[in-house]
Amino acid sequence: MTAMEIDTEKNIQRKHSTYQSLDKTFDIQNEIYRGQQYSQIYFARLHTMRTLLYSLVTHWKPHVPVCTVLGLEEGKECIIVGTLFKHMQLKPCVLDEYSKERSAVPLVKPHNFMHPDDHLVLEDESGRVKLGGTVLSPSTYVTGGVVALHGKETTAGDFLVLDVFEAGLAPQIEPQLKSREDKYVVFISGVSVGSSTLNPLQFQLLVDHITGHLGDEQEQGIVAEIVHVVFAGNSVEIPLGLLNGQNLASKDQSRVSEAVQVLDILLSQIAAGVSVDIMPGSNDPANFALPQQPLNRCLFPGSRTFNTFNSCTNPHCFELDGVRFLGTSGQNIDDLKKYSEARDELEFMERTLKWRHLAPTAPNTLGCYPFTDRDPFLIESCPHVYFVGNQDKYGTRILEGSEGQMVRLISIPKFCNTGLAVVLNLRNLECHTLSFGAQPSTLKTFNDA
Amino acid sequence: MATTPSNMKGFYRLKKNRSGITKPTSSKKSSLHLVRSLGSDITQLTALISHGSPDLKDYHDNHEELMRQFDMNMAYGPCLGMSRLARWERAQRLGLNPPIGFEGLLKAEKPLAVVGCTTAADLNQMLFLT
Repeated sequence: MTAMEIDTEKNIQRKHSTYQSLDKTFDIQNEIYRGQQYSQIYFARLHTMRTLLYSLVTHWKPHVPVCTVLGLEEGKECIIVGTLFKHMQLKPCVLDEYSKERSAVPLVKPHNFMHPDDHLVLEDESGRVKLGGTVLSPSTYVTGGVVALHGKETTAGDFLVLDVFEAGLAPQIEPQLKSREDKYVVFISGVSVGSSTLNPLQFQLLVDHITGHLGDEQEQGIVAEIVHVVFAGNSVEIPLGLLNGQNLASKDQSRVSEAVQVLDILLSQIAAGVSVDIMPGSNDPANFALPQQPLNRCLFPGSRTFNTFNSCTNPHCFELDGVRFLGTSGQNIDDLKKYSEARDELEFMERTLKWRHLAPTAPNTLGCYPFTDRDPFLIESCPHVYFVGNQDKYGTRILEGSEGQMVRLISIPKFCNTGLAVVLNLRNLECHTLSFGAQPSTLKTFNDA
Repeated sequence: MATTPSNMKGFYRLKKNRSGITKPTSSKKSSLHLVRSLGSDITQLTALISHGSPDLKDYHDNHEELMRQFDMNMAYGPCLGMSRLARWERAQRLGLNPPIGFEGLLKAEKPLAVVGCTTAADLNQMLFLT
């Protein structure tokens, strides 16, 4: 029997791709808080979108005049552009704490705050007007989106909506056509190292697979085509009992950092072989308000030594071989789920792209930094791949725009619950899943009948 | 302490600021001296300035009045919590055509006009005092 040889001659080279991070607009390092309120970010959002919509609306309905909310005349058809506000009676309000009839208000929060009586209001700097009619369904829209509406003012003072116009997909830059070979990007989300739901063996299998330690040569050859890995949020879960603000006993202090240390070890295994991006999520040790800042590099003493390791913001935008990626760790879509309804997560994602805004409910119900000069969540250039992490199930489809834009929408499921990672082929933007299972083997004894 | 009636007017400054906050008229062309946003002309301005109460601010001069009108102009968005220069730059970037000479004025007046921003206390003073 020949001894097992370690092939040092057949080194399988991993493929390489050019990576460029476009996260500068999500960085708040240079922002100074001067006591500003959220009116600044709403002003920037309305103004940018309105300028855009005014130019698009001339092609939509060229003969209808455009006016401001205050300039509405009764019975006259016109187009108004403004920010939508959805009045929802079930939306939790801080004043509920002080309401006298405490017993009537259910303290249990539903997962969705919609109600048949919700109505929409359109607002611009001059005023606001209640929207009526059946064209605009309040269940589809949320506070914070900017739209153009064609209609007329009624005697009751409402604006009867005849037609709606959304900005639609942003212009897309054509990816430069190189000699397209199969190159893969792996997306993982919701690993939740440190939680009880994660099976550590599943995650270790994933790491081993990506680094090429599993399988035969053919398998390794396929894996060598993975050029990038993205962790889309919630990579750790620190036990909540330790985070209640109390001073920790010394034995508990190590428990707080355990999860991050384990994550660092596994990330350094990946970073040794392939470039990896890690985005913060809602459970990660990062700031709460969007845009979440990159996880501090001091958390990853092992991984940060590799130049392939990138700690990124949430939302995260980057370009890989000319293909533009944009994605979040899920907070924007989760918030949309609470205040509107759709068939599935992909439809929510489609809406955010058509409204050209990543997180329209920020800052209304989603924490957000009070920017003064810009709204960084506005989507100026349509991405080729749009991903959202920490969702309940995997989903993907291609979205087509009116000007030939093509976007691959990916809803990445939580790895701790599903054991699924998503793989995208850069050549044709096709997606498939990688499923990792670790079934405990059943011990069969000879005594079983 | 007895005050003669003739002193009362000087004692309690209850005069309304005559420029006030009038309805802004939309105009694309604005120059440094004729801030059309509040529909005032230069002769009225100089008259107001000489009339203005000297105890409001240390740096109160004719430029300050123009800057306050810039702050109050709704077309350029909210003014609280932003330095005037930042607000001017934002207006410029969004294509709102803020008065061009203003930038030079803001940069010339060091350091308060550039760094200082309108606070809620300033607004209070502007609207409710002389």
